[in-house]
Amino acid sequence: MFRNLVLIVVGMFIIPLEMYAQTGTLSGQILFEDGQPVAYATINLAKTKNHTLTSENGWFELTNIPYGNYQLEISSIEIDNKVQQIKVNSASNKLNIKVKKAEASVLSEVTVEGASVKREIETKGFSVNVVETKEASLRSIQTNELLNTTVGVKIRQNGGLGSNVSYSLNGLSGSSVRIFIDGIPISTYGNSFNLNSIPPSMIKQIEVYKGVVPGHLSDDALGGAINIVLHKETKTNFNASVSYGSFNTFQASANGLYRFDDSGFTVKASIFHNYSDNDYKVSGRSVVVTGLGGVQTPITARRFNDAYRSTGGMTQIGFTNVKWADQFLIGVTGSSDYKEVQHGAFMTIIPYKDRFLESDAMLGNLTYAKKDLFIKGLDININGLYGKRNRSVSDTVSWAYSWNGERATDFRGNEYQYSWRSQQEGGPTLSQINRTVGSVRTGLSYSFNKDHKILFNHVYSSIDREDSDALRSVLENTFRGTRDLTKNILSATYEMKALDERFKANVFGKFYQQNTVNIDPEIDEESNEIVDDITSANVKDNGYGFTLSYALLPKVIILTSAEKAIRLPNESEVFGNDGDNVVANPSIRPELSHNYNLGFKIGTFSYKKHDFTITTNFFARNIKDRIGLPIETSLNVNDETILYENQGNGTSKGIEAQFEYEYNNNFGLNFNLSRFDLKVINRGVEIDVPNTPFFTMNGSLRYSLKNLIQEDSRLNLFYTMYFTDEFSYLVRQGTNTVGDDFFKIPTQISQDLGFSYVFPSNEFVVSFDVKNVFDKPVYDNLSVQKPGRAFYLKINYRINKF
Amino acid sequence: MKLSYLNYKTLAGILLTIGLNTACTDDNEIDPEQVEDGRWITVAAARMGDNPGDGNGGTLIYSLSSEDAKDPTFSIAPFDNGFIVPSNRTARLQSSEDGNTIFNISYAGDTGGNYSKYTVEGGQDFVKTGTEISIAPYVGSAPRWIKLFDGDQTGSAVYVSAEAQFDDNGTPDDASDDVYLRHEATMGVVTLDLVNSSINEFQESSLKLTDEEEAQGYYISRIDMPTLNTAGDKLYIGARLSKVDPATGESDRNGEILGSKTIVLDYPSLLNPTVITSAVGHGNTNGYRSINSFEYNGSVYQANQGDPNGSHILKIDANNQYDDSYVFSLDDALGTQESYILAWRPASNGKAVVAYRDATSAEGVAGAQGFFALVDLEAKTAQKITDIPYEADFYLFQYQGFVANGSEIYLTQAPVGKNGNIYVVDTETGEVTKGAELVNVEGSHFIGAF
Repeated sequence: MFRNLVLIVVGMFIIPLEMYAQTGTLSGQILFEDGQPVAYATINLAKTKNHTLTSENGWFELTNIPYGNYQLEISSIEIDNKVQQIKVNSASNKLNIKVKKAEASVLSEVTVEGASVKREIETKGFSVNVVETKEASLRSIQTNELLNTTVGVKIRQNGGLGSNVSYSLNGLSGSSVRIFIDGIPISTYGNSFNLNSIPPSMIKQIEVYKGVVPGHLSDDALGGAINIVLHKETKTNFNASVSYGSFNTFQASANGLYRFDDSGFTVKASIFHNYSDNDYKVSGRSVVVTGLGGVQTPITARRFNDAYRSTGGMTQIGFTNVKWADQFLIGVTGSSDYKEVQHGAFMTIIPYKDRFLESDAMLGNLTYAKKDLFIKGLDININGLYGKRNRSVSDTVSWAYSWNGERATDFRGNEYQYSWRSQQEGGPTLSQINRTVGSVRTGLSYSFNKDHKILFNHVYSSIDREDSDALRSVLENTFRGTRDLTKNILSATYEMKALDERFKANVFGKFYQQNTVNIDPEIDEESNEIVDDITSANVKDNGYGFTLSYALLPKVIILTSAEKAIRLPNESEVFGNDGDNVVANPSIRPELSHNYNLGFKIGTFSYKKHDFTITTNFFARNIKDRIGLPIETSLNVNDETILYENQGNGTSKGIEAQFEYEYNNNFGLNFNLSRFDLKVINRGVEIDVPNTPFFTMNGSLRYSLKNLIQEDSRLNLFYTMYFTDEFSYLVRQGTNTVGDDFFKIPTQISQDLGFSYVFPSNEFVVSFDVKNVFDKPVYDNLSVQKPGRAFYLKINYRINKF
Repeated sequence: MKLSYLNYKTLAGILLTIGLNTACTDDNEIDPEQVEDGRWITVAAARMGDNPGDGNGGTLIYSLSSEDAKDPTFSIAPFDNGFIVPSNRTARLQSSEDGNTIFNISYAGDTGGNYSKYTVEGGQDFVKTGTEISIAPYVGSAPRWIKLFDGDQTGSAVYVSAEAQFDDNGTPDDASDDVYLRHEATMGVVTLDLVNSSINEFQESSLKLTDEEEAQGYYISRIDMPTLNTAGDKLYIGARLSKVDPATGESDRNGEILGSKTIVLDYPSLLNPTVITSAVGHGNTNGYRSINSFEYNGSVYQANQGDPNGSHILKIDANNQYDDSYVFSLDDALGTQESYILAWRPASNGKAVVAYRDATSAEGVAGAQGFFALVDLEAKTAQKITDIPYEADFYLFQYQGFVANGSEIYLTQAPVGKNGNIYVVDTETGEVTKGAELVNVEGSHFIGAF
């Protein structure tokens, strides 16, 4: 196998690909006559489909240009449009072009027609948001915070940096939402390489698909998917940043790429390090110290066992933009994290001390991408990962601690140990879960012409899991079961455009197959030897969906999509969990949901210097066969074992809307809101799901000032507002009940302020952020307080030329 | 603008006042004078969470006078007008003997283990008294507690954690010669001063079964329902056993069910636990959510659950040993099979009302159908109470509370999601009086009277 692989790889280097037309890359910088860069200008290669926008620094790059002579058209409302003759005759062609600033009088009627990647994805018909990380990566903003301001997305975090996060898309959450990194399920990477640890600077964009998920993101995503797209630039560059702020939060990241223009040999590396004490102040009904007789005194305490550290990186070497590959990279992704746990799901009067989680992962990766493979229009994309990831939980301290961070005293005034001899009830643990993981994602697409395209995608992922606990005896560890899980998900997609791209459609089908193997060692009665009792469950299912997009007017687009989505039962749902006394139910069926979206995108309309866009979406999710545990009854209370079952149905219906406004490219406003109803129906009775924020709003403002303090510098000012309506931990009560307040999570409004200053050289950016300016208590979960006011300073350094 | 806002507020205020007044005069008029000769009856209702009958959507309480409780034309709607007890999951409530105080220890969630008490003032008015105190540090945030019958002075909560012990024969890395020894079960018992809201005593001790039982893999895995003996010098704690296969250390669900066991320990010191075993009943004695054993006439009477021969009422004598000459099988007394006592309560005359299910129970929306029986502890007889209507969805698993007032016992009856009534059983005559109507809501049920 390995030998064959070597042969293929070597073959790729040797086989001369002269038979295909030679292509080259054209890159450069567009500058005003005074040398200032022209940002977001449209670069169009006339008579081809090849076009792009310049970056904030005026840089652009066009790839896969067949050798020849062309006219390069440069347009922007800021400049006098220009056409330049160019010649592409080598693999890499560079040029810098100077353009004239537009006269004020000609500004009014120049329109920018270049469709950005963002717009292109957002107008296909999906209910999707593309979150660009460019600006945020220069500030002290976490990837999760960025997602939380996205319409229809609600992040619920159990504390500060590094704490457990749950994602909700249009009301569906938990295992209904799948997260991907470059199309690979994030479960492959494990806890140390996730949205808590990856800095926004490593990310190019985040795509949030709600309800209907395209075929190229293959997993059993019932309610939607979040895909993190890492940078795939092939230009030499280097970025580094450090940030320091409240709660001893230190974050550093660096990423760089060096490409030898002649050979295409490319080296890429990124590293990150995050640390926070998370020792923010908390108070409330459970933050007390107890004295003699158990008398409680409320205090304001600093969290003392909540530190988080994560470190990781990715390095890749290979070739980019060569004849036989757009990208061929092999590399390693490594990461580790450490998270102290201050309390369980709730903040109680008994905070934890020295309970912590650790995880690490070391994965080899391979990327191959090529457009126009063998024949024009045939694109291939392969992403593979293989390695190990480990997770451990440590909880061995039996002494009780108090919220003041010191040993707690009992009613007699003595320090004491818990009966359960650990911080979390359930006994001491040093449990370790080791997993060997692998995932390969293959995408193949063929464009018949510019309007018709078919795509095939396949994702294979496997997890071999082994559990052990150093505090358990070898005998117990020997008889603990192991679980292996393999998943194959295949999808086929047909994409079409018609009526001069006013009509776009996308039809897809998905096939899911999951094999779960349970290996449970037991003693053979006859031979008295340990033998493995192997059982396996194979689940197959399929789903399908479509999207339609139709431009009623050039700037009024109807977007509609629907999918029959599946969530396969996970390993504990199929095989149970010894620790929780849950036993196997091999006949459990997948959860399924019919998801519908109907939306509009209106804009961007421009009037003088005003630009605005309105996007809105109505959605409905109809879930069937929800998987859950049965209720306790006199028939099963003493059985000691229960099994997961398919229980009932559920619905989520709602609306989301977004309004974007921009003035003169230096003032921006973004406002969005989301509101929905989430109900479940069990045995014919329908209830509103409690503990769900049904109504959220976010708003943000941005203002840029040029030439402040220094010539050619830029100051950006930012403001963000988060609003979460009151919700209750308890199901809706009667009209005249009292005592409801105990379960309420009050209305929350939190506001952030920040600025970033871009130094004239464009190489340094300094940013300062104040979060939760008015120090308001914020909660995602009942009584679990999140950080109050915090300050962060960040310095970024970047160069694009060596 | 300001003016119109004010007007709106005033108008809303007036409307609200009218609305509230109308609502009150309709069905819940509380006249404190009425209570003079009777007592408060506090009805507990459990709202549905996810599933009909799960009771996870909040526990609501509402009180009415005993006179109104006996009036079938009177109607109460605790789900609309009740007080929501601060507990994340179904609260385990206790009331003072006179019905004027409700005691609660919050179960799970952020305040799990917090003790609070309320003065009953009628309707939805429960006034919190005393200071906040928590027993979570001693017995965890989901404590199993009960009020002792010592004049509302003391509550007690218990906790057990069990850990397997192995002998590795000096070769820690080689599993093949490892031998299971026993489970070390550590019990924590706390007593709580209900009057002054403070901790009285807490002790931890190790629980031991016989060597033979331990060698077979039996251990005490759950304990509950502390009860004080007549002399007030011993505490009895109900127990449930679990079993592992000594060969693998893995849970063994097919083992023989041993004789019912009770832990006996010194009171008030909470020291010197011993385990006593019944030769009459088998299975567990830890009950579920309602008090499972009661002192009567010098002895403690205890129900058991999960007995392969149907539930028994067992007797522990003043010598703190099971009285194996007292044989009271509910199956035999009722002439039924598979009886299972879900909750029960004797009146002062030794006659009791028992909530049970048996082989004739229909499978309702939330489990097996429940029934009530009138039981005589001395005569060892039982009679199904037929004057109370039973539907398939009438479910008593989570049933917690009976009010014993002289020889009368008050109970609540309502199928899941349907209206029901308070019933008053005269244990002396067996006469059943239909009382106030209980207005229900979808998927919910009533869990007793206090």
